[in-house]
Amino acid sequence: MQATFTVNGTERQIDVPEDMPLLWVLRDELKLTGTKYGCGIAQCGACTVHLDGLAVRACQVAARELDGAEITTIEGLGTPAAPHPVQAAWIEHEVAQCGYCQSGQIMQAASFLDLNPAPTDEEIDAAMSGNLCRCGTYSRIRAAVHTAATKMGS
Amino acid sequence: MRYRAVNRSLTKAAALAGMLAAGAVLAKGAEVLIEPPAAGSVSVEEGRAAFDRMYDVVTHPRCANCHVGAENVPMWYGGAEGPAQPHGMNINAGESRIGAETLPCATCHRVNETLDNDPHAPPQAGLEWRLAPVEFEWFGKSPAEICAQLSDPDRNGGRDALGLAEHLVEDAGHRGFVLWGWQPGGGREPAPYSLQQHVNDVLAWGAAGQPCPDGTTGQDASQ
Repeated sequence: MQATFTVNGTERQIDVPEDMPLLWVLRDELKLTGTKYGCGIAQCGACTVHLDGLAVRACQVAARELDGAEITTIEGLGTPAAPHPVQAAWIEHEVAQCGYCQSGQIMQAASFLDLNPAPTDEEIDAAMSGNLCRCGTYSRIRAAVHTAATKMGS
Repeated sequence: MRYRAVNRSLTKAAALAGMLAAGAVLAKGAEVLIEPPAAGSVSVEEGRAAFDRMYDVVTHPRCANCHVGAENVPMWYGGAEGPAQPHGMNINAGESRIGAETLPCATCHRVNETLDNDPHAPPQAGLEWRLAPVEFEWFGKSPAEICAQLSDPDRNGGRDALGLAEHLVEDAGHRGFVLWGWQPGGGREPAPYSLQQHVNDVLAWGAAGQPCPDGTTGQDASQ
């Protein structure tokens, strides 16, 4: 099937099987490897991207959903010169340890803060519990989400 | 009162028959038909037996795990798949029942009419994933409690038995959660009997006056 959609503000066209997951469209077809493969069954959150503004697990989005969609990946959330407030907070708190899950964590947090600009600890835990971190950086993730919320509100 | 309600349903069914033609057409030519029994053809005992089968269906994990109460926590497993347990990942669907407050169901449960679900992956169906309305709570409820709920228009979407059957067939026509219950994929255990048998049981239960295990009837409950 063919689809035309936007990735990080740039129009892209693909011709792939309709059941190809967005994760492999991004990584194999479009060579955007910032989005990580963790489990392939939405159990880990490493492949989280934004589809029309909503955080989704790219391994669960089929190519048949993509025509006309707007996708944002970690490569398009901010830039080194002008990071997204979540990325800036991640740097400030030195959240990452090995870093493998962090693009998914950041994309999930950014979408969540659009829905809830001033979350409580419990709300952060509820929103972020689907994103696993084998290094156990959860306390820094929670602190960084609070900091990002402050940055986005100021 | 009971017979009047049944007759109204059957009159409505006769009119509906022309509109629905053969019912909902599902994949590969499969159909689900709405064929209400003739008035007076279903005894109370047969109606109770039909409800017993309905109870087996609605309390099966494929159905009950998303028909949970006001705590808004969907369930995993249950029945032959082992003890039921709260949905992993600390999921709470919130008062929105779609997770809008924290983590939307749609983050993982995408709309997918193919019902082609992988083992251990989030199930997907042809409708946007959600918990059933809280007043439709089935998880952990007794036969008498569920019979009263299904008989109560304030807690069943304002439906009589025919309306419940229509609801099932319409949902299945969207390749939604009802159809998914019998085609869950990924090695999951499907709901018992069949969708057609379930629709037939709802109609038979209605034609019998919606008898409940505690001796009441649906018409008693709705008065």
